[in-house]
Parts: sequence; structure tokens; C-alpha cells
Amino acid sequence: MSKQYLTLHTIDDAHPSDIFALAPTPSQVLSASGSSSIRIYDTTSPDFPLVQTLEGVHPLGIHHLVTAKEARRAASVGFEGKVKIWTQTEEGEWKQHGEISDQVKAGDIWAVALSADGNYLASSSINGKVHVWSVSEDGMPKIREYETKGSFGLCVGLSQDGRFTASGHENGSVYIFNNDTGRLAHSLAGLVHPVRSVAFSPASKLLAAGGDARIIALYDVNSGEQVANFTGHGGWILSLDWSDTGEYLLSGSHDSKAKVWRIETRSCVATHSHGDKPLWTAKWLPKSTRSEMFALGGGNNAISFYREAAG
Amino acid sequence: MEFEEFEDVLFGVPLSHGSFADARDDEFDDEILEAQSDGEDILWDLGSSPTLTPALTANTPDKSTVENLGRAATASALAGSGRPARAIQDRDWVIARIEEMLETVVDGLLDDAHPVCITLTSRSGLTRRRPNPSEANEAIPSPRVQQISFPGSNAQEAWRFTVLVRILELVHSCLVDNAVMTKRDMYYRHPDLFMKQSVVDRYVDDLACTLRVSRSQLNVTAAAKGLVAGNFLIRRENGTVAHGLSEDEGILIPKVHDSDELDLSLIRWILVMEKEAGSRIARLASLTSSKATFRSLLSSSRWRELGSHGLVLTAKGYPDLASRKLLRQLADEIPHIPMYAFVDFDPDGIAIMSTYKHGSYRLAHEDVTSKDTPGLHLPDLQWLGVQSHHISQSPVTESDTETGPAGDPQGLMRLTARDRKKAHRMLEWDMCAEDGPEPVWREELQRMLMLNIKAEMQILDELPGGLVAWLSSKLDVLQGSRSPVLSICSDNELLF
Repeated sequence: MSKQYLTLHTIDDAHPSDIFALAPTPSQVLSASGSSSIRIYDTTSPDFPLVQTLEGVHPLGIHHLVTAKEARRAASVGFEGKVKIWTQTEEGEWKQHGEISDQVKAGDIWAVALSADGNYLASSSINGKVHVWSVSEDGMPKIREYETKGSFGLCVGLSQDGRFTASGHENGSVYIFNNDTGRLAHSLAGLVHPVRSVAFSPASKLLAAGGDARIIALYDVNSGEQVANFTGHGGWILSLDWSDTGEYLLSGSHDSKAKVWRIETRSCVATHSHGDKPLWTAKWLPKSTRSEMFALGGGNNAISFYREAAG
Repeated sequence: MEFEEFEDVLFGVPLSHGSFADARDDEFDDEILEAQSDGEDILWDLGSSPTLTPALTANTPDKSTVENLGRAATASALAGSGRPARAIQDRDWVIARIEEMLETVVDGLLDDAHPVCITLTSRSGLTRRRPNPSEANEAIPSPRVQQISFPGSNAQEAWRFTVLVRILELVHSCLVDNAVMTKRDMYYRHPDLFMKQSVVDRYVDDLACTLRVSRSQLNVTAAAKGLVAGNFLIRRENGTVAHGLSEDEGILIPKVHDSDELDLSLIRWILVMEKEAGSRIARLASLTSSKATFRSLLSSSRWRELGSHGLVLTAKGYPDLASRKLLRQLADEIPHIPMYAFVDFDPDGIAIMSTYKHGSYRLAHEDVTSKDTPGLHLPDLQWLGVQSHHISQSPVTESDTETGPAGDPQGLMRLTARDRKKAHRMLEWDMCAEDGPEPVWREELQRMLMLNIKAEMQILDELPGGLVAWLSSKLDVLQGSRSPVLSICSDNELLF
């Protein structure tokens, strides 16, 4: 029961160095790399033109870049330690909206995630703390602070409804926090190795987590039970993303392979190779046309777009 | 004994220069001086433990010193008054302390109310005065505190003050540039001021004692530390010949004078290695390492052949001037011969390579060399490894389970907080800037930070045939002379 995805387009040299993050909107994909600039490509034209470059926004390079699913908002984190919030004008141009500075020192924040409405930003940190910020309020205050056992929070997720925050840690821990109560909901066991990506399903019912164990674990958000294990990746899993419908999970790995998993059958339905360098980021594009599309970015400095084969 | 006499010359009653010159020309016994404060040869930037937590290893070597010094802690205003008993004594901390000492001097010069003086804690000689050997096992005696002021009461004291300020300045510049200096280097900087080597040795040790760090944490080492091996000859003016393969474990970095003749006709490549032997800690942790090093290369069966047309050098960490000078002479002599760097995949590895290649990074962007190291850069030095793509090559098995702080058996380790800080600082170097001269360094530092991993050179021992086979095939490929596949396979069993 495999699915066919065809390469639609590849932007070679999309960035001068490793592409660490892709963040799609309905009509664009924002991209970040070891360079200082965010480059924005139009995903509605067949040749995926570069439409905007946010020059020199993080001089030491950008390690995380995310967009809100249903709002014109993005957040970027640079190696210099700053977190910048971006908004898109009606005309489609991206502008800096602000910088998170409330009770935060540069470098405190590692991974970030935005809620679907773009109002909340969750962050992980080197010391294991997990924070939530209200980025639509004046001053972008910190509204939640979760303590963990202090292991480096390599990745963070925020459910689309904003109710849950999840974090994945270097010691293999995965935590789910309830943002309504401000408490730890579940401490999820099972991965042992560094967890490099966590992602909530669109309905916020499932959490996928993956990392150096090369296994993708699916957890039930409400019960905290592990409900499935996807095995097949030969390299560390660096990126996880759910399709809009929640039917498919896209994963990217350090050995440059991307896989598409069908949740219903718990099986891998497609595998693609993106050169021979680490695949840092693999993202579905919001479903705007008939067919599903995803984008891959990694150590080969290129962004490749794939489309589901018709039929 | 001479030691006490000499100490008296240095610190005691004023004596004429005549009697000073009479002091025996022996060197202080490093072992005894260092046994008190300096048991481990840990340099800030090269001794960090790859496998244990940084706090633990950074503090362990001088822990006993701290405890023993506790009583005297209050005595020295310079050694950290108002600070927690054990602040994190990284390189920046030491730099700040030295700057405080120098500021005190400047304050004294600016303000008549302040005396121009430096407070020094010295433990030198105390142990030797123990009348009874049975006390040897007791706690190390408290150090003495003394003030050295300027101009002082006599010429001797003025001289001591001058020596100390100059040493402070030298140590400060070493630390700021993250360069390592031998005590010998320091002495030769101002032989007329320092009079003799032991003066430098003494004050450097006292400075370390005052700051309660080990001497190596001042980036000062005992002696030329580099080793070199290979099929080369140095024909001395006096007719003697030194051969680079004369010792099984390599020869100490030789000084090549203008009048000497270097015969490098058989050398096809030059390899600069970070380490002489596996780090103590790595050995303890995994018992498997110590292969991917200078020493292991020389002891491998492959060396007989490799060494016949190559030259390997290690300065054991951050290079000293002697090693850099020799490499520069080699590069001048045989500029067409490729020179490779083989260092750990961690921020220090890149920083070490950077010191070989560009010298002090702070000066590199200005395209000038510091006055002490004219033209010692090696701009053509190539990075052989370890790089991030070598890590993904190394085989990983499912048995690769959590091994706690000791890291994976494969030799992959997590970055420590210090590593991350260092990587961030290095990303700010001009040479790692977006359009700077070392884009690959920038990328590799970023990849380390992204994955939060590092790896020692030893990781390549996991490859078939081990590191030596990897190195020889890599060198063969780069030389374009032989099939790399063949050399790996044929040596598989031979080596390990």
C-alpha cells in the first residue's frame, strides 16, 4: 500500500548552507539556514520563486523557524539566542513584530512552536525548562513555566488548540503539559535516546515523538499511553509533521531519508531521499489544491517539493 | 640547599645582583612544585573532559588545593573576595582576575592614596622546609601572602614587581588569544629582565597559586611539548643529522636553524594531529580509545609504510610556538606538499586547527600577526577530519543503548555547557562570519549545536580497519596514488 510522490520542483542553493527549518503558510514557505537571512518562496507558482528575503536577521544563523497554522505569524530563533516574532501584512509582506524579552536571556530559548492562532509560543531550553509566551499581548509576557528534570529540551510542540505543550529531551523524556492548568499532564517513557522532534496531531489527540532511537512513538494525549511505534528509519529522526487531515505523518532523518506514514495502517507508505546530507526539516504544505504536497530541506542547501501522484 | 637560597634571592632579603647570579643554574623541580596545585595538566581549552560532566572535571584536579587553601582564602583579596568559594573558574574568570590585579596597579598609579602593589600568594618552597619527612602526608601548608610593591624599598623589589607585571601581561595575552606558551617561551621573551628561567617558573607558579588555578589553566606549559615523526632529515651545521624516524614514539619538535639543512624530499604529505594519546578520561570511560592518535598511528603496523613518505606532528592540543614554527618552515620548504589537520569534532578541535592555521583568532581578521609570532600562519592547512559527515559514516547498531554520561560506545558525546558557549563564541569570530574565510567551520559549529554532539578523533576507530586505515586511505585518495578500497580491506585484519 505505497503511495507515489513525485518531485515537483527543487530549489537548488535555496540557502548558502544547511537548511535547518522550513515553515509553510498557505501560499509560501519560509526557510531558515545557517545563514543570517530568512528566505521566503512562493509555493503557488510552478517555479517557486523567491518573493522576500529578511536579510541578516540572525547574524550567526537560524536554528528554528515556525509559522502558525491559521494566522499570519512566524517566529525565528538564531544561534545568537534571540527570538523574533514576524507578522505578514495584508499585502503578503513579512515584517518583524517584536522580540521575546520578558524574563528571558538570549540563549535561554532553543526550540519553539506556535499555536494555530499564532497567539502563543512554546519554547524549550538547554536547561530543560519549557515556557509559554503570549505573543499577541503587549510585551509578549511569559505565561507558563514548566520545570523538567533539566535535560536539554531539543524540541517542543504546541497543540493547535493551544491546550497542550509537549517537549522532547536529550535524555529521552517526553512531557505533555496542560496549559489550562499549568501542570504536567504526562511524563512519557519509552524512547531513552535523545528526542529530536515532537508533533501534535491536528485534532490534538495524538503526539508523535522521534529521535536517536530511530523509532517514531505515537502517544494518546489524554491517557499518555503509547499507542504505536513506527520503525524503519535508519538514521536519527530530526523532523516530524502531520498532514492537515491527520491521516499521514511525515518524518525526516539524519541519513537524508524522508518517510510518509499512514496513521490508520501504521505503515510507511513512501520513502524519499534528499541527497546524502542530514534532512533537517520535512513539512507538509497546507492542502490548497487537490493533492498533498510536502517540502524537504537539509544539508544539501536545497529545498525539494513533492506532490502526491494523481490517481 | 640551592632552592632556598634562590628563594631568598627572589623573595627574601635584598641581595646584590652578584649573589643572585651565583645562584645555581638548576631548574626548579616541576614535579614538586606542581604536585601541590597542578596534578593534572589541564588546559582550559584542551583538557575538558569529553565524557564526564564539565563541572566535575574542571574542578577535580585542584579540588584538594581549594580545600587546603580555604584557610588562606580570606588572605588574598585578589583570589575572589566577595565571590562564592568556588566560582566557575573558566578562562574568562582567570582573565578577569588578572585584569583586576592589573587594575589595582593602575589605580595605585593614578591615586596616591593607593599603594602600587600586587598581592601574591606563594607556596613555593614551603614543602621543602618541612623538617620532618613524616609530616609529608599531612595537609599541604597554607601559602604565604606577600605584597610586592613598586617602587618598593630597594631595586630588588622594583625588579620583582616589574617581572611580575610582565608575566601577568604575558599570561593575560596568552589567555585572551587562547594560545599556549611554554615557560621557556616566556623566558626568551625577556631574558635580560627575567635573568634566568627559574624566575619565570617561580612567578608563574605563584600566580597560579594566587588565583588558585593550575599553571596549565594559565595556558602556560612546562616545556616544548610537540612531537614529530616522519621520513625527514635535519642536517645540522656541525655535521650531525637528526632523522625523523629515529625514535619509535616520535622526536621532540626540533629547532631548525637557518644554517641547518632540511631534507624533505621523501615527504608527500604532512599531517597535524590534535592528540598524542587518547585522553585519560576517554580511556577510563570507554577503554577502547587511544587508538586515533599520534602514538597509535606510530605504533600501528601501517606506520612503516605510511611514515616512509609522510610527516606527522602533534603539539598535544593547542600548539606552542615551536610546533608552529617547524610547520611553517616545512611549508616554506615544500609548499606544494599538502598539509592536513586531524582534530576532534568539537569546538576545541576547530579552535586548535584555527590556531595552527590562522594563529590567534583575534588577530587573524586584522591580517596582522602578533609581534611574537610573525608569519606563523598556515593558510593552506586542510581539514582532514573529524567532520560531521564522518560521524554519520560510522556504523551504528541497535545495541547502542544509553550509557549515561560516558556517552555512546561509538564515541559520540553530548556537548557540555562550556562546549556550547565556546561554539557560540566561535560563531562570532570574523573568520566564521557568513561571508568569512571559513564557511565550513561555521557550518560544522552550527551542526554540532543543532545535534548537540561532538566526537573525538577516536570515533573513526569504529570504521572498518580503524582510524589508521581510514587515515591512510584518505591520504591515498588525496594523493590520488592508490585505491582506497584496497587499502582498507587489505589492512582490516592486519591492524586490529
